[in-house]
Amino acid sequence: MAAVSQGFKTDLLGAIPSLRAFAVSLTQNADKADDLVQETLVKAWDKHESFQPGTNLKAWLFTILRNEFYSQMRKRGREVQDSDGIMTARLAVHPAQHGQLDLKDFRGALEQLPEDQREAIILIGASGFSYEEAAEICGCAVGTIKSRVSRARTRLQEILKISGEDEYGPDAISAQVTGTAAH
Amino acid sequence: MKDMTKDILAGAEGRRRNGVGDPLGPNSEIGRKLKQYYDELVSDDVPDRFAQLLSQLEQAEPAQKKD
Repeated sequence: MAAVSQGFKTDLLGAIPSLRAFAVSLTQNADKADDLVQETLVKAWDKHESFQPGTNLKAWLFTILRNEFYSQMRKRGREVQDSDGIMTARLAVHPAQHGQLDLKDFRGALEQLPEDQREAIILIGASGFSYEEAAEICGCAVGTIKSRVSRARTRLQEILKISGEDEYGPDAISAQVTGTAAH
Repeated sequence: MKDMTKDILAGAEGRRRNGVGDPLGPNSEIGRKLKQYYDELVSDDVPDRFAQLLSQLEQAEPAQKKD
């Protein structure tokens, strides 16, 4: 097994902020996200030989992180997101500042998306990947990513419009969602 | 009718290149919020545990001698 180069280590270090951001987006939980990043770094280190220098390291790492996330989720029977993640959001304090409240609403809306849509819209709209790269990371067709992004965007618009009518937080939103569902 | 659709699509493509009309671009509320959400996460301080982890991995398997 070839030794890991110093440059590889430096590049891994540099990628950590992005990996953490992606991990939080997937898990919706800061502690689980950091565990996931740790697993990803260990895996990346172990299989550094399969990384081709000159190709996109960030995309390679995101692929590892994503695979790790889904394999953990399968092992735990999907409790990863459903219990802890949403609990954290409910316990979150209401910040006094205007813009932050907005972002909190957005976070809540993002959390309501199915994972596949959420990861797609994050990869394209925030992490700066192309549709082709995102498709590679998620192991699916470019068209699938496009449709997931589009559905995610539509859903976010719907949710945020609902929350925009009433600014009193998650309870008001869920009451409205329930109201809509009863039609 | 077909030509018109083509024109509209071509226009959309041009706007997309300029970042205007990009469904997740700077003119989209969702796009802006997404970036705000993500940038905040990216700029979060990285805990020491990760640098320590990489050092441990490196000690377990020393890096290549300087080339």
